[in-house]
Amino acid sequence: MIEFTQIVIGGVMQGAIYALIALGFSLVYRVTGVINLAQGGFCTLGALLGFTLQTGLGWPPLLAAAGAVVLTSAFAALVGRISFVPGLARLTNSNMLMMSAGLLTLFEGLVLVVWGSQPYALPPFTGEHPLAVGALRIPTQGLWIIAVSATIIAGLWYLLQSTRLGKSLRACAENPTAARLVGVDVPRMQLFSFALAGAIGAAAGVVVAPAISLQFDTGRLLTVAGFSAVAIGGIASFPGAVIGGLVLGLAGQLATAYVSSLFSSALSLTLLLIVLILRPSGLIRGAASRRQDVRDEARVWAHVTRLSARATWRLGAALLAIGLALPFVVNDGLLGALIITLILFITLIGLDVLMGYGGQISLGQAGFMAIGGYTAAYLVINNDVAPIIGIAAGMALSLVCAMILAAVTLRLRGLYMALATLAFGLLIDSCAIGFDDITGGPSGMVGIPDMTLFGYDFDTPMKMYYLVLAIVAVLLLAMAGAMRSGFGRALQAIRTDALAAAALGVNVTGTKMTAFAISAVLASLSGSLYAFQFHFLSPEMVGTPRSLELVSMLVIGGEGTLLGPLLGAGLLTILPTAIQALAVYKTLASGALLAGCSLYLPQGIFGGLVRLAERRR
Amino acid sequence: MIALQVERLSKRFGGLLATSDVSFDVAEHSLTALIGPNGAGKTTLFNLITNLFQADSGRVVFHGQDLRGRAPGAIARLGLIRTFQTARVFPGMTVLENVLCGRHRLLRQTLAAHMAWLPAARREERRIAEQAMALLDLVGLADAAARPATELPMGAQKLLEVMRALMAQPRLLLLDEPAAGLNDTETAELATLLRAVRDCGVTVMVVEHNMSLVMTIADQVVVLETGAVIATGTPAEIQANPRVIAAYLGEAPV
Repeated sequence: MIEFTQIVIGGVMQGAIYALIALGFSLVYRVTGVINLAQGGFCTLGALLGFTLQTGLGWPPLLAAAGAVVLTSAFAALVGRISFVPGLARLTNSNMLMMSAGLLTLFEGLVLVVWGSQPYALPPFTGEHPLAVGALRIPTQGLWIIAVSATIIAGLWYLLQSTRLGKSLRACAENPTAARLVGVDVPRMQLFSFALAGAIGAAAGVVVAPAISLQFDTGRLLTVAGFSAVAIGGIASFPGAVIGGLVLGLAGQLATAYVSSLFSSALSLTLLLIVLILRPSGLIRGAASRRQDVRDEARVWAHVTRLSARATWRLGAALLAIGLALPFVVNDGLLGALIITLILFITLIGLDVLMGYGGQISLGQAGFMAIGGYTAAYLVINNDVAPIIGIAAGMALSLVCAMILAAVTLRLRGLYMALATLAFGLLIDSCAIGFDDITGGPSGMVGIPDMTLFGYDFDTPMKMYYLVLAIVAVLLLAMAGAMRSGFGRALQAIRTDALAAAALGVNVTGTKMTAFAISAVLASLSGSLYAFQFHFLSPEMVGTPRSLELVSMLVIGGEGTLLGPLLGAGLLTILPTAIQALAVYKTLASGALLAGCSLYLPQGIFGGLVRLAERRR
Repeated sequence: MIALQVERLSKRFGGLLATSDVSFDVAEHSLTALIGPNGAGKTTLFNLITNLFQADSGRVVFHGQDLRGRAPGAIARLGLIRTFQTARVFPGMTVLENVLCGRHRLLRQTLAAHMAWLPAARREERRIAEQAMALLDLVGLADAAARPATELPMGAQKLLEVMRALMAQPRLLLLDEPAAGLNDTETAELATLLRAVRDCGVTVMVVEHNMSLVMTIADQVVVLETGAVIATGTPAEIQANPRVIAAYLGEAPV
């Protein structure tokens, strides 16, 4: 009983933090209608600022904590002013979601540049000695966590329910146009909510930092935990966020105690998927739930990048010629980067079909790379099958997973589907770490042999390069055909107006399922090739950071164009290899480019180039 | 031969009886106009026919097939094609691609055939592209074929939507206020076009506010008021019907 009580207390502490992060999500969502994935980034930034103020400048713990909260919300206000709020005025909700993924990556990159990649352990506010109540031991930091969370929750509740400012904020949430008409400064309220969410996030980060080990990518985990909490509780309601946080915290602690710590995140994610499927709007339904379909209408996909048939063939032929000649002019390091670029491009072709043409956001695409990579490598190492059989088996398994995931997620509208794919990717992550008999766990799978095909061994980078180039050329040709067919048009019609597409006889579900299947199979193929290229595969090579990087590559290069993603993949793969000094800035640049492109170059680099070429003529 | 039978259709939204016991027939190869004051339930009726909303009672029969329980996509695949009150061209696609979308239900070539660039697949694409260009030429949009569809002015977008619907080779075409947003010249062209469509053997039904347009093109007029049919007949009969005049002018003629 003592043990159980101890676990429950731990769960409540964990849950209080989740609830606090969830509150940040809920606040921004209720005022702007956007799910701000950067929320967890505020926590890391706040915690590490607190660390620097405390240990670097010698401030007392509580003053350092307050300073960190102020600095973080000022930074959030700045970022909101130049990216988030302008984006709200002209981007669709799904593009805003991607921009916030860019901001999360940007924060991670910033932390990586300033604080490095090592973990930090912060001292507790009031000493290491736990409080003893009978036989129970309660860490004092846990009391701080619960007290701070409760204070912020109560304060926010009062602000929204009982003040004039709160009324204005809620007006923005319920009807921005009407709010503007009655004199509410809507952009200012949006900015305020974003900065306030930054302050809440920083406060959560500062109080939780002594209880966990913190590093640059902890923000992502906190984002996912906080988001899971709001998704479980109901995003449009504050009590929902709090309840969701507590449920998630308790479930996680109980799973760690009674099942295994390796699977506690898997269990939380399964819980999230179940709630998303059974009750997409969460356990507690909010009063101000939004109709996603209506809001997107005003700001739609406006850019169309089309090359004439002749220009396409010429460009394709020129690129193929360059591709064939490249290995003779580059050194080994660059050749390696080119191979990786092309392998990632295979995933991106599929992701582009799904996201660029089909408008279905996937934040878990690397999950399919993992399935493909591990399946092929495992079968080749342990069952001695030919690589091509391993690749085919991986593709088949990915297809099965994709169809199961699609069957449950396609019912979900818009952003919920994106978040279900994120949860899927994280689930695969934790399986890759947890099933260490099969995958080698966190240290990875070693001894993966060369790629072979009908007895021919691709044992040099040069051979591997030409193999991947040939696969890419064939895939591009096939996808060019597919996108110019009825399927390609149906997909693009569904992207913005599924109802009008159905009124013309388009099978909406079937078309989406096909796109999902194509993207999963291609990602799986790419993951297998990736494993054979490195002769090694570890969870972080095909984990959620990879999924987010793929989205960056797609948006930067130009979604909805077949060649655009190649530019994005090349830029983010070749540049850091060619100029080693840039490698540390890669994450920062990837995030900044994703956020910047969403805002200023929605058609991507390729779309921009095509437009420039057209203007010349 | 009856193309469409609407039988005792009713739909209630909360306390509002939006459609009340509506019945009428549409003869094959005819042009039927559905008129009525604002809020009479014309668009709701279209939405019920195409199953965007489920009717509370009553049924719709299309060429002998009961439409109850069929998804909007399945109804379209039977050849019952509709347009929307506000133009719903597909953003992110060119004018030509928008029109080609209309043909979706009749495409024969598979995705695999297109991926393999089979000659038959390319032939089908070329053939429908030619037909789409011919349709665009009919309304003077052929020059704009490669432009993004959302760049067109509103009137042109409405015409584009009509052309997209025609591309589907409908057996019955439901047009929701096709003349809204068109100027007089464009409206006259639309009248000519709709008559030509009917003469080609397509059954047409339009919701329209423009009375002179309705009276010049319709074979049959159905008048709705507060969700119920108050009159059905030829344009001449409708123009002489005291209830219709009362509904539009608010009082009976002296």
